[in-house]
Amino acid sequence: MRDAAFFLLAVVMLSGAAVVVTARSLVRAAFGLAAALVATAGMYLLLTAPLLAAVQILLYTGGVLTLVVFAIVVVGGEVVGPATRKPWAAVVASIATFAVLARGVSRIDFGPPVGGLDAGAELGVSLFVRDYMVPFELLSVLLLAAVVGALVLARKDPSA
Amino acid sequence: MSLHAVLYVALAMFAIGLYGVLARRHVVAVLLSIELMFNAGNLAVLALAWSRGLLSGVILVLFAIAITVAEVAVGLSLVLLAARRSRTAVLDDLSELKG
Amino acid sequence: MTAALYVLGGPLAAFAAIALLPPLRRAGRPAGLLTVAGSVVSLAAALVLLLPFLRGGASPSEASTLWAPLGAAGALRFGLLVDGLSASMAALVALVALLVQVYSLAYMAEEKRPALGRYFAYHALFAFAMQGLVLAHNLLQTYFFWELVGLGSYLLIGFYWEKPEAGRAALKAFWTTRIGDVGFALGLLSIWTAAGTFTFSELFAGTAAGTVALAPLALGLAGVYLGAMGKSAQFPLHVWLPDAMEGPTPVSALIHAATMVAAGVYLMVRVSPLLVHAPALSAAILAIGVLTALVAGSLALVESDLKRVLAYSTVSQLGMMMAAVGAGAPEAAYFHLLTHAFFKALLFLAAGSILHAIHTGDLFSMGRLARKMPWTAACFAVGALALAGMPPLSGFFSKDEILAAVLAGGHPLAFALLLLNAGLTAFYIGRAFFLAMGGRRDAAGAPHESPPLMTVPMIALAVGAVAGGVLAGTVPRLFLASIAPPAAEGAHPPWAVALAGTLVALLGLTLAWMGYQRRSFDPGRIRAAAGPLVTVLERRYFLDDLFVFAYRRIYLGVSAVVGWVDRYVLDGAVNALAWATWQGAGRLRALQSGRAQDALYALVAGVILLAWLALSR
Repeated sequence: MRDAAFFLLAVVMLSGAAVVVTARSLVRAAFGLAAALVATAGMYLLLTAPLLAAVQILLYTGGVLTLVVFAIVVVGGEVVGPATRKPWAAVVASIATFAVLARGVSRIDFGPPVGGLDAGAELGVSLFVRDYMVPFELLSVLLLAAVVGALVLARKDPSA
Repeated sequence: MSLHAVLYVALAMFAIGLYGVLARRHVVAVLLSIELMFNAGNLAVLALAWSRGLLSGVILVLFAIAITVAEVAVGLSLVLLAARRSRTAVLDDLSELKG
Repeated sequence: MTAALYVLGGPLAAFAAIALLPPLRRAGRPAGLLTVAGSVVSLAAALVLLLPFLRGGASPSEASTLWAPLGAAGALRFGLLVDGLSASMAALVALVALLVQVYSLAYMAEEKRPALGRYFAYHALFAFAMQGLVLAHNLLQTYFFWELVGLGSYLLIGFYWEKPEAGRAALKAFWTTRIGDVGFALGLLSIWTAAGTFTFSELFAGTAAGTVALAPLALGLAGVYLGAMGKSAQFPLHVWLPDAMEGPTPVSALIHAATMVAAGVYLMVRVSPLLVHAPALSAAILAIGVLTALVAGSLALVESDLKRVLAYSTVSQLGMMMAAVGAGAPEAAYFHLLTHAFFKALLFLAAGSILHAIHTGDLFSMGRLARKMPWTAACFAVGALALAGMPPLSGFFSKDEILAAVLAGGHPLAFALLLLNAGLTAFYIGRAFFLAMGGRRDAAGAPHESPPLMTVPMIALAVGAVAGGVLAGTVPRLFLASIAPPAAEGAHPPWAVALAGTLVALLGLTLAWMGYQRRSFDPGRIRAAAGPLVTVLERRYFLDDLFVFAYRRIYLGVSAVVGWVDRYVLDGAVNALAWATWQGAGRLRALQSGRAQDALYALVAGVILLAWLALSR
């Protein structure tokens, strides 16, 4: 059962990824990414991390993708000329990367998976109280900086 | 569903994303491909955490997602700025640091 | 010894003054007077040096100062050597220079004033250089002044630089003597190897004591002789002398009769004690000398320009002097050098007088000048008789000594050839005299006698040409102190030789008189009949063509090849390197395309490599 779900999710994920890198229309690529992200969320569920699945869908699919679609609208999603450049070199590079890292993966031997990542209370305490409180606060500062930076960069030139 | 299977899938998405980063001509397409790679990475980390039962893996992925969101925001506004300045969104033409 | 400094200082001061003070040079005549004054000082000092040697019993002296220490190898010195040979030569040079300069004051009077100043500056420079050569105390110093003399000669021959022929002639003189000078320089190296010194006194002492290596010494002497060949116009390096007639006639009188061309003979006489150790070289000197004498004598027969006749005559007489050196009789050579200086300079000044009067040197435009220019004619006659070797003029005595020495040295063939040359000499100088001074037709132009400033020096030289016979007894004494006593020296040359010489001269003069004065036979018909022979002579034995061929084809050909190699091979290699660098740079620059994705490829490649390495452990 789990394996079937896993297989299905994997197919969706990888197809979505393929669409992202090959679609000529950027909107189509964006939706391909959406599919891949949702499939990833599904994966997270299978990996016993429901919190992350929710975060994934909320932030990525809901937030990031919306941003991206707006950007495409502003910048223009049409490309003059071919959609890709030096595709064969890229293919070689990605296959080589996959091969090297897969070799590493094949050497991993951890035994049966333990699971148990859905301990919500434990997670909450660890994150907010005990272990990662300071990084969490810093993260909010980072987000603030990002918002301000994005606004400054994207505003219209005052002298224009 | 074993650890290896999940890792291989994540690696595949990573490789596909890498292809997109290297080959696509439109800036936003490249950003999308970068997202793919990020997600692949997150998936791999979580799979390893699930294999060993480490909650800190979940927290790591959480942080990673937050940072990625910030990065996308800033990156997109950079794209907007560049496109406005050079009137092009094609990476080939954004090459003033050449030579 | 201080007198020696004055010998050098007079002309040097005059030159320095004219060179450094442009107003003096531009004034013209005052510069000339200054040069003459310098020459007077020089002559007076030279006579002071000479007197003790004339009286007999004086010993040579030398003074030198350190110039360049060479550590263990010794040192180069700079100094003056005063002995009978150098004192007499210094006096000769100063006297002839003075007479020529006085003569020039009148001869060159029509030149523009700045040019005149330049002329006398060159004269002063030349006099200084020549005296420096004469009084030099070592071979290197001699070479130094040798080159300076060459420079002076170039400047004076090319004085009329507006005329392209003059420039070419000056260059030709310089180039030809340069060939000899290269030999001289190489000879110097060889001599240093042989003896470790350049100083004359040390060389003589060393060879006498046996401390000098003989093989390199002979080689060195050969090199020195090469230099002398150039300066003293020995065959085949004689080709510059006839062309040097492009210069003003007083210059020819000074340089091409008495001083510069004599420098080669003087040098060989100076090193003659060393020649006994190089018998092959001596034989070569004799042979070349005889050859030179005959070649030049024959060429003088067909010349129609008076100065050219005199030039070839000089070459011929120089050949005789060198023959004497080669035969082991340097005293005879030096004696002839002294007498020749007087009568040849006299002849040149007479030619200058004629040129000044009728503005051409072409013998066939002249005639019956004796009537209009009596003093010139008389001096010309004296000089001609001396050159022909008629007794009792000085030329008879010196020529006689040479002939006797050559015969006594065991060279009968050389003796016969030199006797033949004496006959030729008498003939051609007679021809020149009768064509110019005698004949039936009057000369072109308006001939007139020359002013006293010109005739007085001529007369002075004529006196010397007549009275020089007196020196016959003195010359051996001049040598006694400086050079080892000559091997065999009879009191007088054998009468037979004197008789033969006189007869031959008489024969030559008579033939000339019959052909050109009395017109008993027509020389023109003989010339036409001897067609091809005359052509060879007129083309100067094709030597000039040979030199031009060697230069154009061989030298320039080699230069062209070298130039091609330089342009295409050497420059080509450098250019190829530059091209490769540009190409490489262009290729490498493509890496910095400014496109992010290209940089990412590099990044990815690096990551793959590192991952692979990490995972290989």
